[in-house]
Amino acid sequence: MNSQKKSTTRFLTVSLLLVAVFCVCIFSFLAFFMNQKSAETISSVGTIYMTSMSEKVSQHFETTIDLRLIQVESLVETISPKHSALRSTLEYNAQARGFEGLAFCSDDGDFDVLYGDPLTTADPDPFLKSLRAGEKKVAVGLDKNGEKFVLLGVPARYPMQDGGDSIALVASLTADYVAETLSLYSDNSLVYSHIIRNDGSFVIRSGDAYRDNYFERLQSLFDSVPETGDQYVHELQEAMRTGEDYSTLLQIGEERRHLYSTKLAYSEWYLVTVLPYGELDEAVNDLGKTWILMVYLGCAVVLLALLLIFAQYFKLLLGQMQELAEAKKAAEHANKAKSEFLSNMSHDIRTPMNAIVGMTAIATANINDVQQVQNCLKKITLSSRHLLGLINDVLDMSKIESGKLTLNMDQISLREVMDSIVSIVQPQVRAKHQRFDVFIHDISTENVCCDSVRLNQVLINFLGNAIKFTPDGGAIQVSLYEEDSPKGVDFIRVHLTVKDNGIGMTKEFQEKIFDSFSREDSTRVRKTEGTGLGMAITKYIVDAMDGTIDVESELGKGTEFHVTLDLERAQIQEEDMILPEWNLLVTDDDQQLCESTVASLKSIGVRADWALDAETAIKMIEKRHQHGDDYHIILLDWKLPGMDGITAAKEIRRRFGTDTPILLISAYDWSEIETDAKAAGITGFISKPLFKSTLFYGLKPFIGAPQATDEPPPEEITSHFDGKKILLAEDNDLNWEIAEELLSELGLDLEWAENGQICVEKFEASPLGYYDAILMDLRMPVMSGYEATRAIRASERADASLPIIAMTADAFSEDIKKCLDCGMNAHVAKPIDVREISRLLDKYINQI
Amino acid sequence: MTLKECYAAMGSNYDEVLGRMRSERLVQKFVLKFADDGSFDLLQKSLAAQNYAEAFRAAHTIKGVCQNLSLSKLGASSSALAEALRGGGWSEEAAALVEETTRDYQETISAIRAFQEALGG
Repeated sequence: MNSQKKSTTRFLTVSLLLVAVFCVCIFSFLAFFMNQKSAETISSVGTIYMTSMSEKVSQHFETTIDLRLIQVESLVETISPKHSALRSTLEYNAQARGFEGLAFCSDDGDFDVLYGDPLTTADPDPFLKSLRAGEKKVAVGLDKNGEKFVLLGVPARYPMQDGGDSIALVASLTADYVAETLSLYSDNSLVYSHIIRNDGSFVIRSGDAYRDNYFERLQSLFDSVPETGDQYVHELQEAMRTGEDYSTLLQIGEERRHLYSTKLAYSEWYLVTVLPYGELDEAVNDLGKTWILMVYLGCAVVLLALLLIFAQYFKLLLGQMQELAEAKKAAEHANKAKSEFLSNMSHDIRTPMNAIVGMTAIATANINDVQQVQNCLKKITLSSRHLLGLINDVLDMSKIESGKLTLNMDQISLREVMDSIVSIVQPQVRAKHQRFDVFIHDISTENVCCDSVRLNQVLINFLGNAIKFTPDGGAIQVSLYEEDSPKGVDFIRVHLTVKDNGIGMTKEFQEKIFDSFSREDSTRVRKTEGTGLGMAITKYIVDAMDGTIDVESELGKGTEFHVTLDLERAQIQEEDMILPEWNLLVTDDDQQLCESTVASLKSIGVRADWALDAETAIKMIEKRHQHGDDYHIILLDWKLPGMDGITAAKEIRRRFGTDTPILLISAYDWSEIETDAKAAGITGFISKPLFKSTLFYGLKPFIGAPQATDEPPPEEITSHFDGKKILLAEDNDLNWEIAEELLSELGLDLEWAENGQICVEKFEASPLGYYDAILMDLRMPVMSGYEATRAIRASERADASLPIIAMTADAFSEDIKKCLDCGMNAHVAKPIDVREISRLLDKYINQI
Repeated sequence: MTLKECYAAMGSNYDEVLGRMRSERLVQKFVLKFADDGSFDLLQKSLAAQNYAEAFRAAHTIKGVCQNLSLSKLGASSSALAEALRGGGWSEEAAALVEETTRDYQETISAIRAFQEALGG
């Protein structure tokens, strides 16, 4: 895990670094490349600008010079040499046109000055040569102070003062005038221009140039590297010689200047334009800087984004790794739980096995000591039962885990379920001296559809745990109540709660109580046996029934399990349960029980009062007694506050005689208290919980004999079977005799079939509707009870559906299911219980 | 020897059977008849013939009769034997249980005989 995390971190860091370096390189290259490009662009822009600029200046120069020359020409044309006042007219006209001076030029270059300062030509040869050839020409003139003038020469033949003829009329303008006209001095332009002659001397000088010769100036700029200066001068001279334009970039130290040179018209002059890149470079550098800044900023943003993504990814990865680790832990835990379970199980199985093996050895050694052997066998039985319980749990769990556990939905009676639960847990409760109570209330439907075996299992598991984890003398309470189900009118919501005041559970354990193979791991429960599967099985069963389990528990205070099930109401008609209009008194310390019992009694036609303790009850009995209107039956709870049920019964018998039956109601085992109760004059016993049917069957024996103080004789409950024909299939004659003896007391008319075959034959041979029911043993020679039932059900007689009730020595749920599958109506276990058979016959015969 | 003592000798619960049959006369009648019941003979013959299915049925019948008469001790051993034979096969366990059942049966029968003699006497 850690090494994996480390390697992932390393991978991420390295790749992040690589990407960062890559990014910086790419962006740096971009910055560098773009800077280079922009410098080049600036150069070419400079060249274009310079070219057009120079062209403009040179055109302007040409235009200006042209205009001036035309003025001079017009002077020559308008004023003939024969003019009377030639010189003054010329002077006047020239001044009017703004010329600085005017002179005739002789063939050898001497000036005959008309007005203005006398001037000398700086480089007379080309000037004179052109003038002689009759061409207009411009040249530089100097006055005696060395001031520069521009001389405009136009060929003209005028008489000169010295008698000769002139070759040209020369007018002069100040160099400054030309410079200004050409805006060469402009301050607010980056560009400055000089006009030079081909020997490098300035005609017009502008800017900061102070030397007389431009070539010298150029060379002086390259003091540090004279060769470069020489080269530029050479190139410039060469261009001047051939009359071509010259453009170059001067790199003077850090500074760059663009130089452009072009020839000017009418002269031997060159216009030199210079553009220092200083400010442009600054702008470009600023641009470059901004560009680099932006690039690195962009780079930083990209890197930041990358970093974020990596960080997020890393977090995600960590989360996943965490989850993976947790899943791994959970799997390991489950695995550990299973192996712990196995070792626990091995231990749990070995303990009873050891007991069985050991006890068997002891019994074998003491085979003649009956008491010892009996003792051993008792222990062996206990251990075997425990072992069977463990194995059943494991089998159930494996069924659940392979998804094979299915529910056997059948119509069941909640009363029977509760009765059987109560009788199962009674011995254990008694052994631990715990207080055990069953509450039922609001029962509107006793018969529902459910898997009774599984429902029993659920309740027994809860109760078993409650008993197990509640110390001696603690209290356990089971409640059952019903309410309308949200699933519709065909359903009823059944609430079952099992509450104890035992050791309770920790919060942590409550969360995993329904997990397989878990048992609270602390020393206080170590000594308690169990597989840890019970709760998981219970949970599964309740889930399969679409129910819910709620747990409330507090350490040391106790636990409450609450099961809620929505069960379908059974379709079978409940018997008409009506009792005579008796007056009853119910005495119990639980008011809810009293009220619910009174309501149940009312629904079966009995009026009842209730009292919460024996003292009140006795007062109520006394009051009635005085009016001569005694209660018909009195129901007393065994455990009451103050005077208990048995003492109260004694008191009642003492004061009001022995006429009224007194019945004890309790969740405890009757046999436990029977002797005391009988001695106290208590007539009988009704076991809690008090369902409507419990009350009905409990009170029914007193119909017609309400004054009886002894248990009613069996005839009382069974006299209504007179003449009913029953076919009894039973292979054993002793069993047959016993059955005949017992059942004929009910007024039944029994016929014997010695096996299944005979049973079927007798049935087929009988007139239609002759038999009212068949009681069927299952294990018989020739033909078993199962086969016989199938044969009878398969016959085409109209009475083929008569009630068939199985009687067998086996009471496994599989057997019961097989009976019902074969088409039998019910199942009763041996030994023959007259009451039970009477009840079933009553139910099925009367149904037809 | 009373019937109750006879039941005690058979390791069985007299109160239980009386609770169900409600008459000592009936209990006595059937207990005496039990001595003549052929199921145990059938069991022994079937075992000798190695007909374990029949032996199972016989054991099962003994169990049923014992339940009806609340002969708990013999009922328990015959029940265990029936379970051992249920599959239709033979085993060490079954052999041990046959022995046990036989012993319990003889104990029961001798108790009944003793009771019978006491009656006759």
